[in-house]
Amino acid sequence: MNFEACFRLLADRLKDEIIVTSAGNSSELWWDITGETERVFYLEASMSLASVFAAGIALGTKRTVVAFNGDGAFCMNPGMLIVERQLALPNLKHFVIANGVYGSTNDLGHPFAELMDYAAVAKAAGVERVYEFSTLEGLGQGLDDMIKVPGHAFAVLHVDPLGRHLPSPPLDGPEVKFRFGRYLERTGGAPIFDAPLHPK
Amino acid sequence: MSSSSADAVARRIVDVSADCGISLVASLPDGWITSLITQYASDARFRHVSVNREESAIGLCSGAFFSGIGTFALMGASGFLTCIYAITKINYTYQIPLLIGITLRGRPGDRAKFHQSNGLYLESVIQAIDIPFVTIEKADDIPRLATAYQHSRTLSRPVVVGFTREVLRGEA
Repeated sequence: MNFEACFRLLADRLKDEIIVTSAGNSSELWWDITGETERVFYLEASMSLASVFAAGIALGTKRTVVAFNGDGAFCMNPGMLIVERQLALPNLKHFVIANGVYGSTNDLGHPFAELMDYAAVAKAAGVERVYEFSTLEGLGQGLDDMIKVPGHAFAVLHVDPLGRHLPSPPLDGPEVKFRFGRYLERTGGAPIFDAPLHPK
Repeated sequence: MSSSSADAVARRIVDVSADCGISLVASLPDGWITSLITQYASDARFRHVSVNREESAIGLCSGAFFSGIGTFALMGASGFLTCIYAITKINYTYQIPLLIGITLRGRPGDRAKFHQSNGLYLESVIQAIDIPFVTIEKADDIPRLATAYQHSRTLSRPVVVGFTREVLRGEA
């Protein structure tokens, strides 16, 4: 399916979730579509750690946390699924964007998508709720089941390469941290920073 | 070394960890810290997560900062050296505090030949990336773990605590 159309559908439907994007396309495209600066942690240069980073966030909230990894990142660290399986967090939803390229480096191709069945890897790791979406229609129909039904879930998004370069979110790291952290605190999360912004 | 003295040291480290606010421990073992990891895993004050690789401990604990959870990433010296990219990209870029515990492998007295590279380069690498480094060389140093934890939060960067073989064996 078309990558941008896929993300537009996700951005349209995932309005209440906490979002963690990873290096390259997922951060750039989510920013390009939404311009969001609070409920999204743009974990650029994540190098395969976006979903375990999201798991850490999910440990402390009942809200649903959605993580995006590229398939380049996934192949760098497929063992992430073992950690996720061990944690079995009912509010962690993990998407792998399977486009067969490194989107952050000019869509340089890699052979992994042809060599490996990502969904089968997740099943072999013991993840019980595994999805694959290859069409917008299928994604639209199956998304609520993946996201709304409690339980750790993993999905492969089969998309075409984006085919163009988008700018990174124009946010320095500390700004991402404070916008995201203060947002979580303000919306009912546990205190994160030692000094509250508005002491009672 | 007696297992009881090593266990007593491990219990003390675990108690100091709990008292300073740590409740999530992510670890990958080194032979020197198996007793310590076992105690974290069996202590109801902690959620212990066995990670697939040390970088996952960095990622998980860094994310858990946004849950308001106190965390400790515990690993061997060699594993720590595999984490330089994750630490400098995630924790430095976003200024996320993190307490990292490592073994000081390769120091004189460590007869494992495959750890001698750590003796040569570990502390130089720590200095090269400017991580505050706190050594725990004797039992009386164990409270430094709590100080290091708080310093990490104040600094908004990682702090490394390094345990010697002697302290972990209950001999110092």
